Amino acid sequence: MAGILDVPKPRINCSMLSQHINRAVCFVGRVEKVYPTGKTFSVSDGEGNNATVELNEPLEEELSGIVEVIGMVSNKGAIMATTYDVLREDKGTPFDLELYNEAVKLIHDFPQHYPFEVAASG
Amino acid sequence: MSVRLTEGAVEALFKGVEVNNPMLQLLSIRQIGAPSASPRFRLMMSDGQHSLSSVILATQLNYLIEQNLLVPNCVCLLKKIIINTLADGRHVVIVMDLEILQSAEETGGKIGNPTPCSADGKNSSPKKVSSSTSVSASPPSAAVPGTSYSSSNTAFSASGGRGRGFTGKAPVNASPMKASPMKASPMKASPMKASPMKASPMKASPMKASPMKTSPMKASPMKASPMKASPMKANSASPAKAMSIANLNPYQSKWTIRARVTNKSNIRTWSNSRGEGKLFSFEIVDESGEIKITAFNNEVDKFFSLVEQGKVYYISKATLKAANKQYTTLKHEYEMTLHANSSIVPCDDIQGVPTLNCDFVPIAELENRDKDAIIDLIGVCKSAEDVSRITTKSSREVSKRELSLIDTTGKVVTVTLWGDEAEKFDSSGQPVVAIKGARLSDFGGRSLSALFSSTVMVNPDIPEAFRLRAWYDKEGYALDSQSLTETRSSVSGSRMNWKMLSDVKSESMGHGEKADYFSCIATVVYIRKENCLYQACPSADCNKKVIDQQNGLYRCEKCNRDFPNFKYRLLLSANLADFGDNQWVTCFQETAEVLLGHSAEALGQLRDTDEDAFDEVFQKATFRTHIFKNRAKLETYNDECRVKVTVLEVLPVNHREYSRRLLSNIHKLAS
Repeated sequence: MAGILDVPKPRINCSMLSQHINRAVCFVGRVEKVYPTGKTFSVSDGEGNNATVELNEPLEEELSGIVEVIGMVSNKGAIMATTYDVLREDKGTPFDLELYNEAVKLIHDFPQHYPFEVAASG
Repeated sequence: MSVRLTEGAVEALFKGVEVNNPMLQLLSIRQIGAPSASPRFRLMMSDGQHSLSSVILATQLNYLIEQNLLVPNCVCLLKKIIINTLADGRHVVIVMDLEILQSAEETGGKIGNPTPCSADGKNSSPKKVSSSTSVSASPPSAAVPGTSYSSSNTAFSASGGRGRGFTGKAPVNASPMKASPMKASPMKASPMKASPMKASPMKASPMKASPMKTSPMKASPMKASPMKASPMKANSASPAKAMSIANLNPYQSKWTIRARVTNKSNIRTWSNSRGEGKLFSFEIVDESGEIKITAFNNEVDKFFSLVEQGKVYYISKATLKAANKQYTTLKHEYEMTLHANSSIVPCDDIQGVPTLNCDFVPIAELENRDKDAIIDLIGVCKSAEDVSRITTKSSREVSKRELSLIDTTGKVVTVTLWGDEAEKFDSSGQPVVAIKGARLSDFGGRSLSALFSSTVMVNPDIPEAFRLRAWYDKEGYALDSQSLTETRSSVSGSRMNWKMLSDVKSESMGHGEKADYFSCIATVVYIRKENCLYQACPSADCNKKVIDQQNGLYRCEKCNRDFPNFKYRLLLSANLADFGDNQWVTCFQETAEVLLGHSAEALGQLRDTDEDAFDEVFQKATFRTHIFKNRAKLETYNDECRVKVTVLEVLPVNHREYSRRLLSNIHKLAS
């Protein structure tokens, strides 16, 4: 767990999963379906595409709404979560997933203006 | 060289069959009509076999006779003719264009031995004449005067019909014709109409250029009048032919139109230096187009209750004049004014008259339209505010109501209704609302306002309404759509002039004659605690600083009074910063209270009692980000000129809107 927290984790959406295989990422999406095992659930990003998240331990309670998942992208394009965080919907401004998606695309379109890697290591 | 006459042509023409470029010999010329103004010439033409005397020369060709170019026995090629059918079935040929192929001298005498064509004399061997094509579309010969004619010629070779040919004075021309046999049998306009005229949109514009009516044509409106008279009185048969709205022009005085009222306004009174009066206007539509009609003063009384929106009427005898584009959104060249002799009669035969002619714009496209454009809109009324009363600049009280309309594009826009319409509107059940002739404004981004001339229809009986209803019931109601009008906070919309703090210096804001207003997002980095409060005059609306008389009284110079008390007022000097620059600003009472989160009185108390708590208020207010609406102005204070910035309003940051704005700015910069 400690390992992943030291590493820069770029924010991505579904279309960027394939470019980040075997790398640590941060994925924000809406929980779609929780599988009966409780160890896997699917999330959708701001563009409407789906991705699968796999946990080490099964979920203890129902998961819904928007979550932020930090983990490694597997060879198959699923996210092996090390940790996740649910964004509260009852407080504050509702999270605009489409707008977030636009921001994520922007970050990847202009990496020279968003040098996260450098900041993390320095 | 001798020319061959087109045999069989006369017989064909007599029967009303079109002949293409027949060559005929002129046998005789007779002048008809009143001796005043332009004469009309009747020709007897022969094809060697038969002769036809019901041939009329179009007046623009009169000069041929007057200059003795066209004389009996010469051979002519009829390049363009129109055949009119009289009510009794007889045909008249109008020669619009002809070319003289052989002069009378060359021809010698009469060719052949033509027998006059009469009603029963049709038994001579009918020679087949190629008459498949209608009036030849040959371009007018050079002889034709006036560009207006030539332009109209092409228009009517395509559109045939209402024989235009003159540049002359139509009404005058009409009279001689009237005297002629035409009069005997009032022309029926139907064949004219049946011909290519219908094929093309009768946009009367080329026609308009030269008021034209050949006699038979004129006779038809003549006919219309006796016809017209009957429905007025008899109220039974409809006039055989109503004119189309597109053809209306000031040069025709007798016409009848049959149309539906689409847009009726309320009675409006005015009072200006020239007097006062009242008016109401309405728009009518028929298959060919729309036109606006206005009634003033007496006519208002006469017609206002008679004219109902959505009903079809026969209208005749009104004054036509050039449309004042300022007051109408219709595309017709002219508009009508009713006068004492105008007549409006309800019509039962509504076949063919279209209902509302609306050109609805999808809400999502409103952003692309210009501000102040007049458009039609249809949408489902998702919600409506209550009626509110507003006092306008002219001190009039008006009711207003705002509705939110959504359509299949998923976008929402706010529409403002005024006056009676605002009060009458019933928003229950999410009705489909259609508005015709609303003005698009950039208030709050994009919003619509109903004008005096707009028509608001609730649940109208048109296909778009049904489609919208079906869509809304299925999916629309659940859509959390994006409104083009962001009315919640008056902050958003194109009124906001977003700037960065560095722009204040780089753009020399405030240096002009007028103050510069702008909005920015900035963080408070420092607020001066000292001298943030002052003692002000306690009388309402007077905020002048009072002088402590030291005897328990406080003197206000402006009110010229002493008071035993005062009220605390805030006057903050704060430093704002964004990524680029800092700016010292002044915040008065209202904005200061928002920034600090406490009222001036409370702070005044706190300062005297609990100093730590007082400090903490300021600490908490620092490093908070807000939206600031400011005013920058160059001010002179003791020989020193400085740009002073005052905060007019402090608002919380709307992150979503801010993000969108940043995204769009980035995209703009990137492209």
